[in-house]
Amino acid sequence: MNGHPTRPEDFDLYALGVLEGEEKAAIESHVPTCADCAAKLAEARGRIALLAFSAPRVEPSPAVRERLMRQVHASAESAGARRAQGAAEPERGGGFFGRWWAAILVPVGVALAIATIFLWSENARLTRELAQQRANLEDQKKQLDEVRHMAALLEAKDTMTVALASQPGMAKGDVRVMYNAKMGMAVCDGWVEPAPANKSYQLWLVPMEGKPVSAGVLEHGGPINPWMMKLPQGMPAKAFAVTLEPEGGMPQPTGPMVLVGPVS
Amino acid sequence: MSGHTGTELRATDAALIQKIVQRDESALAALYDRYASLLSSLLNRILRDTQASEEILQDVFYQLWRNAAQFDPARGSLPGWLAVIARNRAISRLRRHNPSAGGEELLETTVIVPANLENALAQQQLLSRVKSALENLPSEQRAAIELAYFEGLTHSEIASKTGNPLGTVKTRIRSAVESLKRNLLS
Repeated sequence: MNGHPTRPEDFDLYALGVLEGEEKAAIESHVPTCADCAAKLAEARGRIALLAFSAPRVEPSPAVRERLMRQVHASAESAGARRAQGAAEPERGGGFFGRWWAAILVPVGVALAIATIFLWSENARLTRELAQQRANLEDQKKQLDEVRHMAALLEAKDTMTVALASQPGMAKGDVRVMYNAKMGMAVCDGWVEPAPANKSYQLWLVPMEGKPVSAGVLEHGGPINPWMMKLPQGMPAKAFAVTLEPEGGMPQPTGPMVLVGPVS
Repeated sequence: MSGHTGTELRATDAALIQKIVQRDESALAALYDRYASLLSSLLNRILRDTQASEEILQDVFYQLWRNAAQFDPARGSLPGWLAVIARNRAISRLRRHNPSAGGEELLETTVIVPANLENALAQQQLLSRVKSALENLPSEQRAAIELAYFEGLTHSEIASKTGNPLGTVKTRIRSAVESLKRNLLS
């Protein structure tokens, strides 16, 4: 169908939006070709629009007006800025790209670069902190293990205590070693006079058979905090001794014996 | 009513549209103050959602700001056009359609309102006439036409929703439209 609608209300029904299918299609195909019907439809739209007045009065929040005017003002300023920029920079080599592409990409690029540097530095800082935390955790774990082992050593009935006495003419000191052959562990504490320059004190387990075994280097003397040492398990000791060695210690004793304590 | 002069308060819609074309923000503010209440009421009635209504209200006036040059007051009524576009967007939102669908084509839509609505008194008088015309309708006709206008339902959708035969719905709506036309134009 492409003729005039048969009833005048058809325009109102179309404006109301209730028509469907062929009824709707008939008006949509005819009105663009008929000025008289287009005018009738415009009047029908106006009548139907009046139904808006039957809605209960609801005043909009003042914030809507403020937002609208801010939006309008921003768009006006933006348009003004574009016109001003266009007038000031008639046509540079960049042309299209030299204008709004640059206006967008340059700030975005700078922002990305700043963000990248910030993230990189933050990542490095966090990595360092993480490594430090891991190291601290490892240290704490080691200390905890040491304390546990030390407690076990001290509580064990087969742990022996060896007192080391100064040898005549040598540095004075008083060192005690608690040793458990079965556990292969020893703890020592006490004190010893400071060692000469470039020298270290070194503690040895002197076994019943074989060569002395290094139990550790006491560095340069002074007070010795309780110190946990690991030794070969099941090695019966004949004595413990402290010798004066080159700084850092030696695989086997080379210097004079400073302190000695036989295992009774 | 603030942010614009007495001249703007008295200016016709056509004069204010012309000022908007020249990027006069106070002219838009004047038109907003003139018609925002009408549109807000319509949007809230359709959507029953203040936030969504306010979003569309702002958007409709922003569209007016952007496209004022394309609006020809000689070809139609601004409040009619605003009401049509606001209703279209609200129903699109209600029915989960693309809210902007059809919005631009409405610039080409001519809407002729049979009344001058450019002042608050005229709006108040028209409001009374429309309410009176609707109240004089039989309740089933009024219900059917409200389902059509405020919920955007078609004949068959109203029939389905109300459980009434399609023919009955068509008759009720046609009768209601004829009555309104008579009462509003008398």
